Amino acid sequence: MGKPMNKFEFLKPAQALFLLYVLWEATAWVFPAWPSPRAVFGVLADNFTQSTFRAALAGSAWRMVVGYSLVILVGISGGLLLGRIPLIDRIIGSFAVAVHAIPGAAWVPLAIIWFGMTERAVIFTILLGACGIVMVSTDTGIREVPPLVARAARTLGARGTNYFWFVVVPAAIPKIVDGLRLAWAFGWRALMAGELLTSVSGLGQLLSQVAKAGQLDQLLAIMLLIAGIGIAVDSLIFKRLEHAVRVRWGLV
Amino acid sequence: MRVELKHVFKSFSHNSSTLEVLEDINLTVEEGEFVCLLGPSGCGKSTIIHLIAGLERPTSGNILVAGRPVDGPDPSRTVVFQEAALFPWLSVLGNVEFGLRMAGIPPIKRRARALEYIRLVHLSKFIHAYPHQLSGGMKQRAAIARALALQPAILLLDEPFAALDAQTRSVLQNELMEIWELARPTILFVTHNVREATGLADRVYVISSRPGQIRDVQTIQVPRPRHAEDAALLTHQRKILELLGEEVEKVLQDELGERVHFPEAQHAVPPGHAHGMHL
Ligand SMILES: Nc1ncnc2c1ncn2[C@@H]1O[C@H](COP(=O)(O)OP(=O)(O)OP(=O)(O)O)[C@@H](O)[C@H]1O
Ligand SMILES: [Mg+2]
Repeated sequence: MGKPMNKFEFLKPAQALFLLYVLWEATAWVFPAWPSPRAVFGVLADNFTQSTFRAALAGSAWRMVVGYSLVILVGISGGLLLGRIPLIDRIIGSFAVAVHAIPGAAWVPLAIIWFGMTERAVIFTILLGACGIVMVSTDTGIREVPPLVARAARTLGARGTNYFWFVVVPAAIPKIVDGLRLAWAFGWRALMAGELLTSVSGLGQLLSQVAKAGQLDQLLAIMLLIAGIGIAVDSLIFKRLEHAVRVRWGLV
Repeated sequence: MRVELKHVFKSFSHNSSTLEVLEDINLTVEEGEFVCLLGPSGCGKSTIIHLIAGLERPTSGNILVAGRPVDGPDPSRTVVFQEAALFPWLSVLGNVEFGLRMAGIPPIKRRARALEYIRLVHLSKFIHAYPHQLSGGMKQRAAIARALALQPAILLLDEPFAALDAQTRSVLQNELMEIWELARPTILFVTHNVREATGLADRVYVISSRPGQIRDVQTIQVPRPRHAEDAALLTHQRKILELLGEEVEKVLQDELGERVHFPEAQHAVPPGHAHGMHL
């Protein structure tokens, strides 16, 4: 409704993808050193039959699951503490903002010093790369209870901890979900950086391996997969979740 | 519980300007009485509701409930807000149960009580619907059920039926009357509708335009159930409409006047430069 008409609206996502594909095919035809899309997709499909590749993929997925779970746990509880207890906010509020300002990859050196070239170092990188944004958005969310809702709640007898858990926290959920969606993107990047630099078996480490071996088609295939997973998780899970929450909270 | 406002003044300050909203309001609602507030838009009716609810403090004067000064909100005084103000993350059932849950009423009992009041406002088919799925009138009905479910001693209603069609409105008016006759809560009811006020209330306060002052009190001694064509009611209505007409005229004059003076009052722009800052 009322959305301004875009000049390129006729270009559906599928058509746009097809156009990109054609351009890629054309450049590969002009520059023979540049692998064609068919070759890259072929390599990618073939990869899935290799057990080492599947193990690397599973390893990355596992670290992401563990790391992201920690992000949810630490980010939300940290944000709640920041928003609820002024003293904690005073002490570590600016620390959380600083953590949030450091790109995930910049945590890797510290992670390696503390944990060595281990899986734990990668998970630590995900945690530090992504929990800042969750903390900050949770903190903002619980400070911004809509006044109308706050009034209604108070006249209905909500106060103290009840008010916090049954009013403040649910009112903050749209903000928290925004933070979680960004944290997924940040965490995914941090995972790749961590694996690249620690050589823990995973997609990131495969990337550095094939680059050293000069396998351009493999390199592109893996990068494509990394992009694909990032986009798929974002649009299949987070975008939908965010939309559902915004609808229910009456924000759209 | 008896509600009493004694010499209540209320003003809101924004930056350096002050808006006088209520001026020397003296008002009582006797225990178990049904009182309506009528007045032009912006005269401070919602502000009076918020003051009694304990959501705002008077600038000066006293607000007493059962003889004690109001100190913050309390579930014995529930409010149906002008804008429904439902919790968007809770279903209709969840919203109506909310106050009962805060009061620590066990789940089975509070479910039963919530369903009872949802039935009363004819929302039984929508117990699992969320506020964003409800029409304006349905939201308002859910908010009424939510306020009633706590069985408050004082019920504050801020234009609760304004968004409803005439049919639903009269059904809910009857239901409110029934509840009032049964449980005898003290009711303060804000409305724009003169017929509604005279049809429901024991007494009607007419508030003047801003700053809000009590312009008149009409005691309506017509026995219930009342009929719309009752001669005494019509007399009251005519009287009130006359008073309101003067007030509404004042509001319009005031607002037109205000718009003319607005730039000077806000920024102390020198005369003649009010519209030419960037030219
Ligand atoms: N929190 C506030 N801050 C500043 N001004 C306020 C505030 N609440 C109300 N006012 C002002 O007080 C005046 C009275 O508002 P109020 O909502 O009580 O009017 P009302 O009689 O309920 O009007 P309506 O019939 O349109 O609902 C208005 O001019 C409004 O702008
Ligand atoms: Mg109002």
